[in-house]
Amino acid sequence: MATHSVEVVYRGIFQKTLAKNITRGIVLAAVKQGKIGIAFGRYGDSPERNGIPAKNFAIVADNEEELQASMAQYEPKSVDLTVALDDTLCKGVESWAWYGLQPINRLTRPGGYLLVTTMLDFADLLQMAHAREQPYHLALVRGLPSFSGLWVYKDDHTDVRVLGAVSRLLPDLVSLEAVEAAIRQEWKSEQKVASARKAYERVEVMAVAPGVGDRRRPYEFELPRWWELREGVTIPAIVPGEAFPDPTTGAVGGWRPARNPYFKKFSTRTMRPVIDFEACIKCTLCWLQCPDSCFDVTPDGYYDANMEACCGCGVCEAVCPVDNCITMVNEAAFTNNDSQWAAWKRDREAYRAWVREKIQHRPERSHGFQQRGQYERQIREMAAAAVGGPAVRERTGG
Amino acid sequence: MAEAIATTPLPTLEPFKGVKKVPLGEYFTSGHRTCQGCESALVMRLMVKAAGPRTIVLGSTGCMYVANTTYYSTSWVVPWMHTQLGSSGSAGLGTAAALRALMRKGKLPTEPINVIAFCGDGGGADMGLSAISAALTHTEYNFLILLYDNESYANTDIQLSGLTPYGAHTTFSPPGTAKRILHQRWKKNVAGMLAAGHPSCRYVATVCASYAVEMMNRVRKALSIGGPTFIHSLDPCPKGWDYDPMLSHELGELAVECGIWPLYEVEDHKLKLYGRTKGIAQGRSKRRPVRDYLVRQGRFAHFTDDDIDYFQAKVDEMWERWIIPGVIPFASEITNGRSPD
Repeated sequence: MATHSVEVVYRGIFQKTLAKNITRGIVLAAVKQGKIGIAFGRYGDSPERNGIPAKNFAIVADNEEELQASMAQYEPKSVDLTVALDDTLCKGVESWAWYGLQPINRLTRPGGYLLVTTMLDFADLLQMAHAREQPYHLALVRGLPSFSGLWVYKDDHTDVRVLGAVSRLLPDLVSLEAVEAAIRQEWKSEQKVASARKAYERVEVMAVAPGVGDRRRPYEFELPRWWELREGVTIPAIVPGEAFPDPTTGAVGGWRPARNPYFKKFSTRTMRPVIDFEACIKCTLCWLQCPDSCFDVTPDGYYDANMEACCGCGVCEAVCPVDNCITMVNEAAFTNNDSQWAAWKRDREAYRAWVREKIQHRPERSHGFQQRGQYERQIREMAAAAVGGPAVRERTGG
Repeated sequence: MAEAIATTPLPTLEPFKGVKKVPLGEYFTSGHRTCQGCESALVMRLMVKAAGPRTIVLGSTGCMYVANTTYYSTSWVVPWMHTQLGSSGSAGLGTAAALRALMRKGKLPTEPINVIAFCGDGGGADMGLSAISAALTHTEYNFLILLYDNESYANTDIQLSGLTPYGAHTTFSPPGTAKRILHQRWKKNVAGMLAAGHPSCRYVATVCASYAVEMMNRVRKALSIGGPTFIHSLDPCPKGWDYDPMLSHELGELAVECGIWPLYEVEDHKLKLYGRTKGIAQGRSKRRPVRDYLVRQGRFAHFTDDDIDYFQAKVDEMWERWIIPGVIPFASEITNGRSPD
């Protein structure tokens, strides 16, 4: 089979340009080797929304007939390589085009590769990624996941570093020389060529045995067919919601809104709010200003962010008037969506320790554009700390 | 038998006296597929929270239709129906007329039912302007038209609309080397236009969801005053404005504090500035420089200092030369007993 396919799973809008650069770069490099290919975004992911996972594909074949044979489909059934541009995508993907949670490695062919841009270790990623029945490889490109926005692109070389790693993992798809030639043509930057080469040398690979990973079953559900819908193609509204009992006292109160059962939104999250209920002054602002209505009002008057509904925008932290009452923490530091308030009610001492431990994982806010000049500063800092960014010449000697 | 009714009965909606008095019920809930930090989704939520459960919502095409109601999935608790891009005015009017007819014929109990038609800036200020204008002249029907303005056609990946601000980067106005500023037109003043042009409309207001309680109280007033009413809301959009979603709330505040987005209401022909805008007009607080607002958004990242100065000069002009700051963009020779400048 001389057709290769690569999928790039990315955070909508934040990584739109980055994903386009990668799939385009793969095809341009393949063309340098006399092959033919096409890069495209998945139709159903458009219009993209900030943070909601989306996909781009690169399909490369030896000749046009073979390419045509692989083109008449919405998305490939299996890919040689899955690229996850944000490590928290390993928890699974719930895109526009899908109802339910897709494992990140769902399309990765047996023996294929899952490539992640991350600062985490293999073990951390395998705790997140769903287990599968066939073996595959997990590969890492070291670096902070790169986030920018729709207009201003943060050129921290993540695009060419991924391209360099691709040529290492799939030498039959593109050679490093072809990648370098494509970079020279497209970006006219020797520094970017150096970054690609460095990533080629440094990519880390591990074989993942069947059954290794998160063994929980990703949730799914059956949607009715259009001919099964009610008269006028109407659908039932969400019910209002209800008060609920306090697990310790049994007193019923507060309010838990009912929620759309078919879309959970939590796979959109790269960070989640960690709430210190003892610092909370019950000012209501997090609950009032949350665009996703994700706060349950508890019977004792606190606000508990429901982790099925929270998409991690960070507005609650921004509007909270108390220092360190709400802290956005890297999503990679969590393994479940359990209620923080219930945990606090169960054991306050343990909860205090849990909050202290979690807020160590305060992420670098690579969540889009905050201030002019910010990307230039971040790229300088990343290069200096060797967490991605342009390849800096290694210091030699003392 | 029901008696003939001239108009449907109006609800009594007292203003919420502070955040602690805001009801807990949600009528637009979780599970919509909007961006992280989407202020327009917050506007929907607060709008219908203010209106309460006896409400029908009509949504014209845009983010708040597409993202909230993908196949077999909704986040609405109240009845909601989609209407075409330019027809929020027609849909609001038609629904209110249908309710009146059904109540007159005794097919529905005679009770207050709120009708809210929402539209985006593309659907409201560009395509649907004529339908909204026509609807605002039908004084015998009670409904609210709420324009949620994220300053572009955001659903289809950010095309320029009549409400896109000067110089903003959109897919129709990318800054380039030959032309740095491709969009040179100034934003339309929709609320002022509709208030001035429809003397029989009893309530027109501008709101911003960063001031949630004040916003909800404007919605409650619009729904309980009677006749067709209009509210224009400015919603920061993380996707099109290109900023970190956690800044949504802050950018709404900045738009008001910089004087770019004046908050006012025209109630029975009486204009009232409110909130921070009132403080600025009375000299109790200073307008912040627009630079604070512009440098936080990627859509203005190509602005030079001259561009920022031009933007500032235009906003200054609005405050210093308009007969009513931010509302009526001309000076007048007729003073009507007011002291001339």
